[in-house]
Amino acid sequence: MLTLSLVLALAAAPPDTTRDRPKPAQSAPAITVHTQPALPVVALRMSIVAGDPPGYAGAGHLFQHLLLPSLEEQAARVGGRVQAIRGSDAIVYSVIGPASELDYLAGILRSALRVPAAANGAIMLQSLSALAGERASERETAPAYVRASLRSQLFPADLPAAGTDGAATRLQSADLADVWGEIYAPERVSVVAVGDVSLGAVERAFRSLPAASPAGRLAPDAADTLPALGADTPQATRGWIGSAWRADSAEPAALSVAARLLRNSLRRRMTRSTVEVEHWWTHQGQALALVVATPDSLTPAARRTVGGALATLGTGVNDEAVRAAAAAVRREMLFYSRTPERMAELLGEFADRGGGRDAAQRYYAALGTVTEDDVRRVLEQLAAAEAATVYVAPQRIPPEQRR
Amino acid sequence: MSAPILSVVRNAAGALVMAAALAGRAAAQERVFVRPEPGTPVVAVQVVVGVGPADEPAAQAGISYLAARSVVEPSRAAFDSLGAHLDVDQQKDAIAFTLTAAPDAWAEATRLLMVSLFRDPVDSASVVRQRAAIVRELTAREASPADALERERARAVYGAEHPWGRPAVGTATSVRAVRVSQVDAFLRQNFTPERSVVAVVGPVDEAEARDALAPHMPAGELRADSVPPPQPADSTVDAEYNSITTWVSATWRFGADSDVEALRMLAQLALDRVSFGPSRRSVYNSRAEVVRYAGGGELRLTLVVPPREAAQWAVQLREAVGGYAGEPLSPTVFQDRLRRFRGERLMELDLPEQRAAAMARSALLGDRTATLVDFTRLTPERLRDAAGGLQPPIIVYLGPARSPAGG
Repeated sequence: MLTLSLVLALAAAPPDTTRDRPKPAQSAPAITVHTQPALPVVALRMSIVAGDPPGYAGAGHLFQHLLLPSLEEQAARVGGRVQAIRGSDAIVYSVIGPASELDYLAGILRSALRVPAAANGAIMLQSLSALAGERASERETAPAYVRASLRSQLFPADLPAAGTDGAATRLQSADLADVWGEIYAPERVSVVAVGDVSLGAVERAFRSLPAASPAGRLAPDAADTLPALGADTPQATRGWIGSAWRADSAEPAALSVAARLLRNSLRRRMTRSTVEVEHWWTHQGQALALVVATPDSLTPAARRTVGGALATLGTGVNDEAVRAAAAAVRREMLFYSRTPERMAELLGEFADRGGGRDAAQRYYAALGTVTEDDVRRVLEQLAAAEAATVYVAPQRIPPEQRR
Repeated sequence: MSAPILSVVRNAAGALVMAAALAGRAAAQERVFVRPEPGTPVVAVQVVVGVGPADEPAAQAGISYLAARSVVEPSRAAFDSLGAHLDVDQQKDAIAFTLTAAPDAWAEATRLLMVSLFRDPVDSASVVRQRAAIVRELTAREASPADALERERARAVYGAEHPWGRPAVGTATSVRAVRVSQVDAFLRQNFTPERSVVAVVGPVDEAEARDALAPHMPAGELRADSVPPPQPADSTVDAEYNSITTWVSATWRFGADSDVEALRMLAQLALDRVSFGPSRRSVYNSRAEVVRYAGGGELRLTLVVPPREAAQWAVQLREAVGGYAGEPLSPTVFQDRLRRFRGERLMELDLPEQRAAAMARSALLGDRTATLVDFTRLTPERLRDAAGGLQPPIIVYLGPARSPAGG
């Protein structure tokens, strides 16, 4: 799930160089190159836009765990770094290193498109254990739990990247080639390159991708069942309040600005609480999520404030505040994307959710035109939507255990 | 006035060398460096003021850092409103102010910073607040083994009476004792443009950047003060610390004429020989650093190991570096190592503020080309000569008391 308070976009960058997927062969990826000659390095981000097969939630992330040690070792030979992220939209591998090593770095990414050689038992168990740890951590602490709960209410089809316990059991005995066959196809692959490289050089580096494995070999009747979050008791020393609203039809830039205004407004009013307001945006839709941590004694007042947050913002919004909030979001976008690696991440994330390869630039430009009326429209849409809510009470030390 | 020309040039081997090459007769007076980078989304500005412990009375240790934080505090809200990020870092020989801002805000943010540094009187309430904050931070850090090691190491390398032998940010006790009037006097005397270097990196027009800085950075030679010669410990330092592991630090001092880029590669290669691995499972942590100061610098290697193995790892550290002083590596092996080192060095510069910092630091130390990286002309012989030119290291142990039998 993209969190716009953390992942922010692009400057008024020069138009990218792009190449559509060649047809009909489709053995090469769609490529976007954003030239940054400042330093002779290149960041390559390769995404496979695909969900996990039904009943095998977490499969994409499992492949990443299986492959990552080998990819890291290869990148280290040229002083580079590798990253693997399983997002709601895509399975993503990134590598950054010297631009002179473009072919070598591209080879590292291409190797991630092959089924891991029948993973030895130890590595498989280690990877499944890592996934189990990630699943547990989402329910263990209040900040992650609140977000997971809101997400499951708003986007029930958006399962955790780490999957489910049932899927993990199936993955342990499944033929990995069959699972990979359901995920990977060359036409699902896109590459974003940022750095001191040319389109031609990147094209040559990715001129052929591995062929897809045959699909349709997995049992069709499997289903993913997510244990109810309500059964868990996350750790919390303060009261945690979560509210979120779907806003699929909202104009994204206006929704980002509304989130920023709401955050500013609540932080001014709730000085003893921690307030985060986030714009969630994936191919599954958009939402505005509000996560507040507050001292136990202030919880009733905080819940009232959160409950009336949208209405209160609506009475105070004005054009000057909208312009300032939009400028702040734009500047954060620039700050975030100041390395080639992050610029590639940003461009790729916007494209992966279906907005096209110039989606980040269009979003950045749109931020500059958001008006008070746009924000009011967004607030109306949010107010009309059903709110997802969650509350985590702070854990109290029993009197007999207090000193 | 001639401007520095920042360029990417190819050397005979076809490798890339980045440098800010100064052109023209005014080069000697240059204290402002601009590196236009059209594709970079933000502007990074590094202001380095050549002020540190050597300028402080011993009883006011840490006054430089307190002054630096106090003088920018009143502008914090304005930086926030501009979306600008400001960090203050006290080094042994200078204070670095790192400003990162969007292209439409950098000039205003830089003006604010320069006015804060060189024109505004210090706000007494800010000094009081920052003094309390620094005392809290230093008190919390006193229990950190990494900080304790750094204190012992600095004392061993420079001597207890040397200004660089004490913590660059002072101690909780010394900072608590500093008065507002002393900060005011210190600022007036030491925070001056003549002791400062500025580097600007990002999507800027060079002439416009220079114009923006001109009112704050009048032309003139960089004023650099000398520091007294160090008085290093003449034997291994054994510092007792309540922990279950021992930190072993080896420091090689080097002179102003040393081949720093070769020493950086040497540090990485040596680190590979002592870091955790299948045959070195007892190394819990390892680190290599090369730091430059006026007149030279230090190559440092640090390991965290079981106490009973500390002495043998000190030997390993010496050998890890000394081993490269013999026969040069074969060309094939060297190229393989250089390939990795080149990538690691470039990764160290992937943030624009890191590039600005590298340029400013280089300029502060007298490099008139403000070179960013210089690895392309490295050779096996340069590596060997760099290792061979080092004096024996200064060894510091920090951990539980070591028995004589355990070394």
